[in-house]
Formats: sequence, C-alpha cells, structure tokens
Amino acid sequence: MSEVIDVRGVTRRFGSVSALDDVSFEVEENTICGLLGRNGAGKTTVMQLLTAQDFVTTGSISVFGENPVENPRVLDRVCFIKESQRYPDDFTARHVFRSAPWFFRGWDAAFAESLIADFRLPVDRRIKKLSRGQLSAVGVIVGLASRAPLTFFDEPYLGLDAVARHLFYDRLLEDYAEHPRTVVLSTHLIDEVSNLLEHVLVLDEGRLVMDLPAEEARASATTVTGAATAVEQFVAGMPVMHRDSLGGLLSVVVGPLNSESRDAARAQGLEISPVSLQQLVIRTTDAPAREFEASA
Amino acid sequence: MTTIGVTIPRATRSSTLDRILAVVRLHFINPKGFIWLPLAIMAFIFLVNYLVWLIIFATVTAPAEQADVRQGLQYSGASLFIFVYMMVVAVQAINLTFPFAQGYGVTRRDFALGSAVAFVTLSALFSILWTALSLLEDATGGWGLGGSMFTAAYFSDGPWFERFFVYLAAFLFFVFIGAATAAAYVRWKAMGMYVFFAALTVAIVAAGAIITLTGSWPAVGEWLAASWPVGIALWSLVPTLASAALGYLILRRATPRS
Amino acid sequence: MDDARPLFAQIAESVENDILSGALAEESQVPSTNEFAAFYRINPATAGKGVNLLVDDGVLYKKRGIGMFVSTGARAMVVDRRRASFTAEFIAPLISEAARLGIGPTDLATMIEKEGGV
Repeated sequence: MSEVIDVRGVTRRFGSVSALDDVSFEVEENTICGLLGRNGAGKTTVMQLLTAQDFVTTGSISVFGENPVENPRVLDRVCFIKESQRYPDDFTARHVFRSAPWFFRGWDAAFAESLIADFRLPVDRRIKKLSRGQLSAVGVIVGLASRAPLTFFDEPYLGLDAVARHLFYDRLLEDYAEHPRTVVLSTHLIDEVSNLLEHVLVLDEGRLVMDLPAEEARASATTVTGAATAVEQFVAGMPVMHRDSLGGLLSVVVGPLNSESRDAARAQGLEISPVSLQQLVIRTTDAPAREFEASA
Repeated sequence: MTTIGVTIPRATRSSTLDRILAVVRLHFINPKGFIWLPLAIMAFIFLVNYLVWLIIFATVTAPAEQADVRQGLQYSGASLFIFVYMMVVAVQAINLTFPFAQGYGVTRRDFALGSAVAFVTLSALFSILWTALSLLEDATGGWGLGGSMFTAAYFSDGPWFERFFVYLAAFLFFVFIGAATAAAYVRWKAMGMYVFFAALTVAIVAAGAIITLTGSWPAVGEWLAASWPVGIALWSLVPTLASAALGYLILRRATPRS
Repeated sequence: MDDARPLFAQIAESVENDILSGALAEESQVPSTNEFAAFYRINPATAGKGVNLLVDDGVLYKKRGIGMFVSTGARAMVVDRRRASFTAEFIAPLISEAARLGIGPTDLATMIEKEGGV
C-alpha cells in the first residue's frame, strides 16, 4: 500500500471554533477519493491544509512523504482548484491557460484545447464577465489539463449545468484511466459522483465520520420494504438504522445483507433496495441534528 | 504495518530559478494594469501639464516673469504622482496575484522573491524611460516651453546614470511600501491595512516629534539640501529593503482566504 | 445499475449476460477495463474488480499485452452457475408473489405453460 497523503490528528481552530477536530486518514496513490459532507463540514479546510494554503493548529500532514508547507517539491505536483478561486483583475481564461504550464509540468495543451471546446468556454472574455458556469469550467479545465499527480477539486463544478457536470465526470474518468493520478473530489452532489469514487471520506462538523472503500460504503446499508409484520419479522435481531412507515407499509434500513438473506427476503415478498451513498451520508451526518431535535 | 509512502523522483523537480521566473512572468502576463495603465496615466498628466504651460506662457510674456514661472514649475507635484501610483500597482499585483499563485501551488517564498524581481524589473524599465525623457526634456529646453516634468527639482540633473539611480530608488521605495501594505491586507484584511498605516503614521509623527523636540530641523534641512538627490536616494534604499523584508515576513503566514 | 449488489458484481453479471446471449463469443476479445469504466461511468478500479472476478472464475482469461478474452466453455460455465441460483433468484419470488395474488403452484404451472407456448 502506498499512501500519497497521510493526515494524523489534525485540528484546525479559528478562535474558539474548530473547523477540523482530530482528523486522521490516508489517501492511496492513484485513486479517486471523495471528500463528502455538508456545507461547512470542513472539506475545504482539509484541502487547504493539504495544499499548504492554510496551517494546522495541531497535528501533522504528510504529502508525497513530506510536509507540504512552503515545500516546492511537493507543491509542484499538486493542483488545487477552488470553487471560489480568485483571478487577477482583467485576466481572461486565455491568460490562465497560458500561465498554467509554467506551474504544472505535466500540462497538456491539446487536452486543454479540447476541453475548452467541450465546455464552450469563451477564452478571450474577461473572467469577471464570465457566467458562474463558465467560471467553474475554467477551474475544471485547469485541474484536468494540469495532469498534476495530486489534483484536488473542491466543488468546482457547482456552477455547471447537469450536461457540463457529466461532461466533467466523463473527461475525468477517461483521463484518469489513461493517465492515472490521485484525485480528491469534494462535493455534496454525492449520487452523481458515487460511481467514480474508489474511497469515501465523510466529514461532519469537523470530524471524520466515515473512512471506507466506496464499495464497502455502498454495501453497508440496505433498505427492506414491505408489509409491516413481515418486515419486522425479517429484521428481528438486526440493528436498525432508520424506520419509515406509511399505513401498513414499513421501510427499514439495516446493515449489509448477503445474497442469501436478500433472496430469502424476496421470497417472502419483501423488496430489497440499495441505500445510495447520498442517503447514507445524509443519515450519517444528520444524526447530531436529529439528536438535538429529539432533546429539544 | 509498513507503508511505503510515495516520494518524488529527483528528475522531475523544478529549480528555484524556474519557479521564480514563472512568478515574474505571471506578473507580466497581463501588462495592462502593470505597465500600460501607469504609462497612460503619466502620458495624460504630461499632456495636461503641457497645456497648462502653453496657457501660462501665452499669458505671461515678460521674460523676467517667465523665468520666475519656470523656477516655480520646477516644484510641480505632478511628476510625483506616478511614483505614488506605483504603490497602487504593487498593492494590486500582490493582492490579486497572491491567491491565484497559491492556487497554482507556488510557495510564499517563491512568490515573494518572484514578485520582488518583477517589481525591480518594472522599476528599472520605467527608470530607463524616465531617464531618456529627462534627457530629452533638457535637450528640447523643457519641451520648447521651459516646462519641467522629468527634470523637476526633486530629481537629479546630473549625468544619466545618476538620474537613472534616483528614479530607480524612488520607484523601488514606493513599490515596496505598497507591497508591504498589500501583504498586511492579504494577511489581516482591511483591519490589518488600517493598523499598518496607523503604525506607519505614528512612526513618522514620532520621528517628526523627536526632530522638533531636539530642535534639529535646521540640521535636517541642511543634510537634505546637501545629500539631495543622490544621497537621499541611497538612504531611501534602507526603508525600501526594510519594507520588502517586512512584506515577506507578513506574507509567510498569510492564507488566500477569499 | 441500481441494484443492491456491489458495482463490480453488476459489471461481472453484465459481461456474463453478453456471453449468454452470444453477443460476446467464446475466444473473442472483451473490452478493456478502461472501456468498461468509461461506458458505465464508474471508477476503473471497480470495473477492474468485476473483470477480475470473471478471470478468477475462469470465464475470462488474460492474454499478456493484448487484453482479456472469453474462455472456451465460458458459456456453459455461466449457464451452470445461473441454473444453480435460478430457483432462489426467480422461482421463489415468483411463487411468493403468485401466492399473494392467490395463485397456487398448479395454476402457476398452467400459466407458465400457456405463456411459454407449450
């Protein structure tokens, strides 16, 4: 196993607020890793710390085996495209694509050109005059064409419409397959990217609440639906994560079910459906809020 | 469990020079605000001055009075504007390019060094231009009107290298003060900038107070008259370098929070 | 692709379906892992896992430097395996759904014969 990112006990405080609280994880080389969680969970903070744009309060970070802070050897191989990236006044997209190769040695100009055409980006218009979607496209194109061995995407596609987003996912997958690199992707549009991810990290209020291979995360919960009595009978003894009922119909979320159990359930007329990654993350990160509601 | 972390092969590492050069190019890639705007402003100021001279010398016709006016013109403040504007140029360059450079994975050290090189280069280019224009001004007898913009009393009227040095020192002084101010802004936002200026003001007022209380103004005046302009230019390099160093120290812990 | 089973298993199943239907002939070349990934829009590692599952089962085999091919006898292998799970996967749910509608096994058999055109 070769990890490209190693985070140990990292806390980032702003005054009395902990943006990150004792977070530890590793990211393996040449995998696509999803950094998921609600707004304000700390996803951007993690990325800023990993790219040395921000500094830890406590804990240690190692990227490519070294501390990334003020470390050109590491930062040369990193590209971080923020959702809210600021560009110098009067810059056009053309300026961005012309200067990018000076900083990213793997820059593929032909790839950039084809992406510009794909996203229909007006490269000679001032960045200030670009629409939200076009602005996001600039960031996406830099991230993709940089071929940086470690590329971060911090919700850079928020301004993109569904077509453009899927274009991004397609191009990312294609390029990743041909030129493997480590990609860390943060988003709250989880279901859209769920199948792209190999590993899943979920943050909630600054804490790491899930750190699993995507396959395991996807398999970690199942929904059983059917007549209330039949369902209760079937799930008796299993830890239940969630219950939804409508009249005589009951829908219950339990842990992983192997194929025998699934077949047995179907034989009893019960419906087995997957729990999407998005639903899983929502449930995992919803708990504190519901606890608060319950106690109020 | 032994995990072998991934490390960086020697062959693909870039050199410090490459990186600094990349930052320099980044500052110059969009010359509009960096080069053309200052020059355009200067050209405009010059034009306005020229018209004023035309008007003055059309109405003031007696030679004695004209000589008087020419004396006065030597103290015109218009020629100083561009230097103060260089502060604005530096502030914009740092403030806008820093977050962008951070996104490109540039270290703060490389950014500071690269920006410093860019500023020195820009100042040198402008100084060359100004020196040429000042020589031209002399040669044309003040643009045919006895006007004085590039050879105002503030600057040197000696040989070209002296003029060049004075201009360069002046440009560098304002540029690096601007850079330090911008660093304060980037690190601590508006509050930081106000505090920075306040501190600067206090320092200047304090210096003035000390000089007044020790009755040293005459001595200061003499020293200024004697060392102007080259001596002063040399001395100005001290605060210039101090600003540059201060700016870097401030920038070292700055984050590009938008 | 919205089943409760792991993605890689769904990929494997999809390839098996093609082998069953004859769309993928024995000894013919299968698309590469990257092509699978691009087509289904999933991570290449996941696609790779699904393909490797079939290689482990002997349904596919690797020709070094060229790619993945359907083994001889693969179709028979898939048929055997599917037959084994046929009862649990299809028959049992059919019977239970029919029971819910008050259709007993004998009536069910008649319906099947009629539908099957026997």
